[in-house]
Amino acid sequence: MQQNGEANANTGRAGRVVLTAALALLAISVATSGRTQEHAGEKPRWWSPGDGATLPELAVYPNASGHLGILNAGGPVDTRGHPFFEPIGTNGRACVSCHQPSDGMSLSVQSIRERWEETQGADPIFAMVDGANCPNLPKDDPASHSLLLRRGLFRIAIPWPPRGADGKPFEPEFDIEVVRDPGGCNTDPVYGLNSPNPTISVYRRPRVVANMEYVVHQNFGVSPFVGKTGEPALRDPETGKPLNMNMMADARVVTLKSQMNDAARSHLEFAGRLTPQQVARIEAFERQVYAAQVDMGAGGSLVEQDGPPGLGPYNLLHGARGVLGNNTTRWVIPMGDAWQSAKPDETAETRRMRESILRGQQIFHFRTFWIRDSMHLNTVGLGNPTKRTCATCHGMHMTGLDTVNGWMDIGTTNLPWAKEAPRNPWQTEDELMPLFKITCRRSAHPHPYLGRVIYTQDPGRALISGRCNDVGTIVMQQFRGLAARAPYFSNGSAGSIRELIDFYDRRYNIQYSDQEKIDLGNFLAAL
Amino acid sequence: MRMFSVSAVLALLAAGPLQAEEQGRLAFVACPIVQDTPTVPCWLVEYQGKTYYMGIQTDVSAPFNPPSLGHKVLVEGTPTDREICGAQVIEPIRISIIPELSPECDELRMARPGVDLGFDPPRPPGPSRGRLAFDYLDPPPVPQAPFAVRNFTVDYDFEGMVGFRTPRILQPALEYAQQSKASRLEVTGFRGATRLSDGKLLEEHAGIARERAEEIVRMFRGAGLDTEFVIRAGDEAIEGGPENRKVDIRIVP
Ligand code: HEC
Ligand code: HEC
Repeated sequence: MQQNGEANANTGRAGRVVLTAALALLAISVATSGRTQEHAGEKPRWWSPGDGATLPELAVYPNASGHLGILNAGGPVDTRGHPFFEPIGTNGRACVSCHQPSDGMSLSVQSIRERWEETQGADPIFAMVDGANCPNLPKDDPASHSLLLRRGLFRIAIPWPPRGADGKPFEPEFDIEVVRDPGGCNTDPVYGLNSPNPTISVYRRPRVVANMEYVVHQNFGVSPFVGKTGEPALRDPETGKPLNMNMMADARVVTLKSQMNDAARSHLEFAGRLTPQQVARIEAFERQVYAAQVDMGAGGSLVEQDGPPGLGPYNLLHGARGVLGNNTTRWVIPMGDAWQSAKPDETAETRRMRESILRGQQIFHFRTFWIRDSMHLNTVGLGNPTKRTCATCHGMHMTGLDTVNGWMDIGTTNLPWAKEAPRNPWQTEDELMPLFKITCRRSAHPHPYLGRVIYTQDPGRALISGRCNDVGTIVMQQFRGLAARAPYFSNGSAGSIRELIDFYDRRYNIQYSDQEKIDLGNFLAAL
Repeated sequence: MRMFSVSAVLALLAAGPLQAEEQGRLAFVACPIVQDTPTVPCWLVEYQGKTYYMGIQTDVSAPFNPPSLGHKVLVEGTPTDREICGAQVIEPIRISIIPELSPECDELRMARPGVDLGFDPPRPPGPSRGRLAFDYLDPPPVPQAPFAVRNFTVDYDFEGMVGFRTPRILQPALEYAQQSKASRLEVTGFRGATRLSDGKLLEEHAGIARERAEEIVRMFRGAGLDTEFVIRAGDEAIEGGPENRKVDIRIVP
């Protein structure tokens, strides 16, 4: 029951097709800005691989909160022959299959369900390699794709034991056992942990492929040693420079180049390596595409020329990359003065929404709570607990990323906080996620908050580092385009922005009032 | 990899702790306590019926980093006659979070009238209003030739290994090794022991000296330093203060 309600945040497609007055408003504000041609798509368009159309300079797509804008700073993108948009692998998928412009360059579970219905499961996103709970299941049965259809999760296969930078396996600090395996893959004789190629399958959401200059910045905090743990940072194989390690849920690949080769091999079943031309085109595309909400429906435009400096894709294009925003000289998401007082042409509904967003921004930056037992935050010198705010962890200006090495454990995948289906005689749904038991060896320190035995749905960074205290740490994602891409968190456990806020409220005993939740929710949806 | 004896160092340091003891130095293990205030929380600890103040929550870059509920804390320091948050200030202070879990350490005292810092904390609990708690230092000048042998010391909490404070030392050391094209790095690990105020000796585990040295070498290798490393470690625990929990790095150009 609980699970069926998981991703009902968005209204149905019909709801999204309706063109609101706000869209007209947007068209005007964009046109008057004179910075681009306007394009007002009336329907969240599905980009099929090899579609061949042109992605306009500014593409606008409806979502439940208003509209999202995809800005191509390099001008309209001719997708014909473009390796991000063409099915260059063997399974008919393109990068765009899972990184859809209308979904904030991620992929909402709503779009996934619509594709299943429209194509009876034939869309290449359902390819068995990772679009099913396990490749050995019957292809046409929706139950084989339950993690994708219900939570928007693709299978990520990680070799075990972990491999070092030299590609050689090394001894992890812990042992791992499979406790529960609803997808069947972790216990499978061909694909599982005890197969000839021991592999752990975890299930994760696609991440936003936009605003990437922020994700891969080389600015504040990037140094040879990771500032949170002291370990050596991964280095760019081309330049030898240390990297910020802020990409993917586990930072297993952290340059755009290495990531795209990994994606092509795993998701597209592409044999060999991408050509230098393909690499250059994908990277150029990724570095110039920006995504952010552009209006809140009747709640008004977010991209007026004198509007808040933290909102909309244009401000992302012009923002400072990779700098801390956790101070009042430079906010994480700056709002400026534009909305402080009503404008002559502002409707009452727009006014109410703007005031709510402003309050939400204040809550995000200033509402304190006790952050407790969160690995790689409470361990970096602030104390445990530390009385701080959302902006403490989500500190990077314009994106809410951490500036470096954003893997932390807030309890999204580790028990006791991770979402688990309640068990009782009346509950018919089984839990979807696998469950692993991690036992930290005596030779390592125990995990400072979870001890030596940890149950987790996704060990996260620990599958790469082999470290006990990395179990369940997940690299945080950027905050942009949230309204277009539910569900949230790497394991899709928050079906809506409200559920995400409720998670934090439970996890840190924040005791938000209902109004605070609404305001914080509007603020997040406006990003 | 050769072993070398630390007994010479041991003799040298033997006089240290005694002197400190005479000046009222305290060393004890207890549960930390969080005392909230209208601004940032204070961190307190009780020992033999007295409540002591260890420090406040500030910032990653602060000289004092608070301990952790759920763990005991080793406190090494000298009480003063000042009071903050209604407790006697220990300063200088060195604290170490004991790695094993102690769920009984779970006391968070709410803010109440009369309990105050009495000063503006360098960093409020939210975003700093236009200032940073501690200025980030400009990077030191790139080391220039001629290069001589240079020593760096990594210090540790009790039972501590590489952590968030280590890069502040490893980074300049790495830079010096790279710039001087070091022919060799001699990395020497030490194991400490603290005489507690109740007379017990608290020793770091046997083998930690070598583990520390090996870990530091892994850090340098991982950061791309391709040179000869000589690992040394003594197995005896050196009795004294925090200064004995360390790794010495000798960079030979
Ligand atoms: C089958 C769906 C799918 C396809 C196809 C796909 N991706 Fe992804 N992408 C994902 C998932 C899932 C993740 C997150 C993986 C994780 O966190 O471990 C991801 C993450 C990313 C990220 C990391 C973003 C960040 O900020 O962390 C980038 C960049 C990316 N993909 C680019 C690409 C490119 C380029 C292609 C085509 C070569 C591609 N993807 C094809 C599903 C897909
Ligand atoms: C202790 C650090 C920490 C604090 C405090 C924190 N977050 Fe997060 N946040 C994270 C991490 C880590 C993730 C990634 C978790 C995952 O994907 O499993 C995350 C993810 C998110 C996401 C991204 C979701 C997505 O799927 O793209 C949003 C939005 C978010 N947090 C909002 C908030 C808000 C609002 C607050 C304040 C109530 C907050 N966070 C407080 C660490 C933190």
